Amino acid sequence: MLNFSRVMAVLRREVQEIVKSRGLLLAIFLPPLLITILPLIGVAFLGNAMNADPDASRTARDLGPFLQTMPELQTWTTGEVTMFIILQQFLTFFLLMPLIIPMSIAAQSIVGEKQTKSLEPLLATPIKTGELLFAKAVAAVLPAVLATWAAFVIFFSVGRLLISSDRVYWTLLNPKWLVAMLILAPLLSLLSVSIAVIISSRVNDTRAVQQIGGFIVMPIVILGVAQTTGLILLNATSFLLGALVIAALDALILRFGVRLFQREKILTQWK
Amino acid sequence: MIETHNLTKTFDKFTAVENLSLTVNAGEIFAFLGPNGAGKTTTMRMLACLIAPTGGEATVAGLHVGRDDDQIRARIGILTEAPGLYEKLNAVQNLDFFARLYGLDADTRAKQIERYLQILGLGERQKEPVGNFSKGMKQKLSIARALLHEPQVVFFDEPTSALDPESAKVVRDFIAELKSEGRTIFLCTHNLDEADRLADRVGVFKQHLIQVDTPENLRRKLYGQRVLFRVREITEAQANALNALAFARDVQRNGSTFSIALDAPDEMTPLVVNALVNAGAAILEVRQERASLEEVYLDLVGRSGGQTVG
Repeated sequence: MLNFSRVMAVLRREVQEIVKSRGLLLAIFLPPLLITILPLIGVAFLGNAMNADPDASRTARDLGPFLQTMPELQTWTTGEVTMFIILQQFLTFFLLMPLIIPMSIAAQSIVGEKQTKSLEPLLATPIKTGELLFAKAVAAVLPAVLATWAAFVIFFSVGRLLISSDRVYWTLLNPKWLVAMLILAPLLSLLSVSIAVIISSRVNDTRAVQQIGGFIVMPIVILGVAQTTGLILLNATSFLLGALVIAALDALILRFGVRLFQREKILTQWK
Repeated sequence: MIETHNLTKTFDKFTAVENLSLTVNAGEIFAFLGPNGAGKTTTMRMLACLIAPTGGEATVAGLHVGRDDDQIRARIGILTEAPGLYEKLNAVQNLDFFARLYGLDADTRAKQIERYLQILGLGERQKEPVGNFSKGMKQKLSIARALLHEPQVVFFDEPTSALDPESAKVVRDFIAELKSEGRTIFLCTHNLDEADRLADRVGVFKQHLIQVDTPENLRRKLYGQRVLFRVREITEAQANALNALAFARDVQRNGSTFSIALDAPDEMTPLVVNALVNAGAAILEVRQERASLEEVYLDLVGRSGGQTVG
């Protein structure tokens, strides 16, 4: 049974430290900012270019494999399809945020404590290791998920003004992305934290954690590229299936992380 | 207050602590002495319920290690070898965090934090990030952290290591004050002067317990009690007179000084003086010889064998 006041004490301290760490604040706010702003700027320019194109009404039948996965776009103009492809690519990148941000926070949180040797006095208090791990996980997952959701909302709010084609906007605002944001993003964050805990037990440098842990973004990047090139189509079902796989991975890796995060192992086996 | 019976800790094939049996009485300062790697910190970690023993039993404040770990952790204070503070946070934030973990309410937290910051002379810099503190200030802050919840048993691991003499004195005086409040103090150290000054009893340890006693009794056990007699000039007649005294053991000559082991110095010293005067000696000085704890310690550790690792 978790003691709520001890969990809150750790959470409070984690937040105090995050607020005082410029590097970490940058790691939390920069990815959402870039992933949200860049496509919107691109779309703003693309919209202007489309309006200036004399062949703007040309349809996109010859755009190749991409249209095989979404035949309904064949009646769209090439400009609209191009805009759609770019924006959808960036939406896939929204799933990178719940992987990158918690990795930075958890690495800083655990490796930071190893570097300052603050884990031993902390573990000498009545706190249970489960409470400590839970609080650290929440402190890493919550900012990541909130930042992802906030970026998503901003993207679609500002996008409403900048995306000149209604059918592009409404096709993008697909329920599959709600599934991705509400279910997949928190699960990915948890996966990221669990991996960060495992790597942090072996290294003494936050950059090393991020470098080793960086591989977990690869599946998302590959999915994004595969979708853009028309090899696959990510829909609500594929996101739900993905969520099931990630949940299973979470359970497996978190279990391993919890086993590592025991007083004796931390004090005697962690490097 | 602390009792161990055959307490043992093994890491894979390496035995760090072997069959440790000792008792630390309530209200005493017990200094745990041993070379680096002797297993002092491992012992302290077992008693503080940070790592589990692989054999034997231990109780702390009447609670069983391994069974009542959460309760033990709530009732003890520990000063680890490294201060282990959150350097971006200030002194108050550091202490407030630990006070919350010990379950202190808001009023008690504020009162205790203020109290210990004042006692340890950190009040004026309480809002500065701890990263700006000197080693001595960090050590004082970590002592305050160990005491916020007013534990009856406090473990100190090398409390004055890496401190300048002035800071070390402040810390030592504070530990003495804690004893006067009736707390039991388990002091891991290889600062023998510190142990000699503070400890009621010392335990010399290297994987297993070599000796436990008061510093004075250890000296007596190892060296007996020796008395020095300095004379103007040593003669054979004086030496013969001393050799004739059956109670005068191990008579040693060094320059103009006789050093003699006496079982009951108070009664025997006047008899030796008398014998020397009768043999024509002009006595310049008589004093009891006192081995340092360092000599006792080195002798004990040396007798127990070579250095151990762990």
